[in-house]
Amino acid sequence: MAAVLVHVDLVGERPDASSLVALAAGRHVASSWGATLYAAVVVHDPKHANVTSQHDDVAATTMPSVPGLAEAESTLARAGADKVVIAVSRGPVAPLWSVVGNAWRGVVDHLRPRLVLFGADAPSAAELGPRTAARIGARLLLRARATGIDDVELRDRDGGYARVGDGGAAVAMIGRAPAIEAVPDDCDVDVVVLAMPGSRDDRIELVTTSPAEIAHATGAVVVLGDDLATDARVTAGAQRLARLLNADLVGGAAAARSGAVGNGAVVDKTTPLSPELVVTVGGAQIDVAGATSVIKIGASPSTRIAAVDGVLAGSAETALAELARKLEAS
Amino acid sequence: MTDNEATARLTITPGSRVLLWLGNQGPARSIRWLDGALKTVAKFDPDKKGRAIAFAAGAASWLDLASDRARHAGVASAGLQTDLSLDYLGWAQIVAAVSRHLGAGTILVDEASRQERWIEVAAIAELLDAAQLTHVVKLAPDKDVIHASRIAGRELQTVRVRGNAVLGVRIAGAPMDEYPTPMPSKTMQRMKLEMLGLDPVVLGHRAQPPRSHEPKKTVERIAEHLVVHLAPREAR
Repeated sequence: MAAVLVHVDLVGERPDASSLVALAAGRHVASSWGATLYAAVVVHDPKHANVTSQHDDVAATTMPSVPGLAEAESTLARAGADKVVIAVSRGPVAPLWSVVGNAWRGVVDHLRPRLVLFGADAPSAAELGPRTAARIGARLLLRARATGIDDVELRDRDGGYARVGDGGAAVAMIGRAPAIEAVPDDCDVDVVVLAMPGSRDDRIELVTTSPAEIAHATGAVVVLGDDLATDARVTAGAQRLARLLNADLVGGAAAARSGAVGNGAVVDKTTPLSPELVVTVGGAQIDVAGATSVIKIGASPSTRIAAVDGVLAGSAETALAELARKLEAS
Repeated sequence: MTDNEATARLTITPGSRVLLWLGNQGPARSIRWLDGALKTVAKFDPDKKGRAIAFAAGAASWLDLASDRARHAGVASAGLQTDLSLDYLGWAQIVAAVSRHLGAGTILVDEASRQERWIEVAAIAELLDAAQLTHVVKLAPDKDVIHASRIAGRELQTVRVRGNAVLGVRIAGAPMDEYPTPMPSKTMQRMKLEMLGLDPVVLGHRAQPPRSHEPKKTVERIAEHLVVHLAPREAR
């Protein structure tokens, strides 16, 4: 039977929310394709026997002692996994290929999945997703969603897709999936514990971690134009949209003066932003050349941004309200 | 830098080089990130001995622009003129072949100029069995070590890199609204697929049709565009 494999990041002791969206997409696909859905978590237990092991193959092993792991297994079972794979890494886990790549590669080589899914916003997705795809020579879908009822397929915005009848493997970073039917709390799930060979790649050494500046944001950013920064309704609409998208709300000096954005969220037209998504509200004077996707709301039709993905001219207040309603209902 | 100097640098300097992959198309919106990537790779070659090389593929006009900006940054350039339209793995095969051909151990990739480029970082690294690092926002070479800072969600990770590695950089240059129209380049080292040991027919298996790009103009279509960015309900 074909395997659909979902990589699940743990944030603290809980499965990452974006990984669970990928798992929901995986459930729809696996049910439609007649595949087995595996949810795999890479963990580390410094006292586990695998830490000092010298074996070169993936091997069954004993359950590691990792805080919250039993609850995480239960969460993954309720989220639709047929089997939960606990991959025991020899080194501590961090969202870098150099740190968990060897362990993750062991899981992929062991299961030989037809489809591998990552939550598009999961901590490890950017480092592990494309490398996994390259390793198995797969098509790669970015920000894909599961669509269809009986014949479920994955589609991305650029026209890429993965269907049941396709030849070859695919890797998808999942942005959205329909909710799955409720699974009973006491549902049973197979748990497979594997000791992963190999250690970290010493060519990359993680030294420190600190909060990033907003100018370096790689996710979503909503930019409030100075011309609308004192309009309370527009500001509220921009904040609502930012909440829905888990985006940073930024603006110029006028937006900071009006209290619409915090002092740490002030940008001007020389600030080089390169997030995945920028939504500008009003006449925002910013440099979005590095953004992957740009949406303009309430801007004058004459305002020009090259390679923009969407424009809603007219009242920003109305457009923001309608957009938020649509997104909340989806 | 003269044309002859640039060509000489590519041929006289032995040892491991640093290759900057500029992509198969020009920047989508501005050359600011292209300039930033070039300025970054120039740090690896402070004495301008040809250790840093920028490489672009695609149409002649894009190669001219890439070469022109490289010349401004004091970086040698190489180019492959082709009308192939490939997926991430197809371009990675070409970059991997070029890096072997030029003897490059460190490869930088300009992640920000076009959206599809960052996924090529991992593919190039996989083909070369190199370490990888995406989303690098600061980078400082220091003898055999590279100090880099990368973005992981809302965190900044500081790392040290040793040995062969592929690094995706998103480092901006100075804002620039206008620049002179580049002239056909004499300094760029021209490459052919054959000299890289690549067969266009085989590469054709990784062909990907160009995607259309029409701006969406209704609330429904923009909501559909944004829905894949929605935060999971529990995270809002």
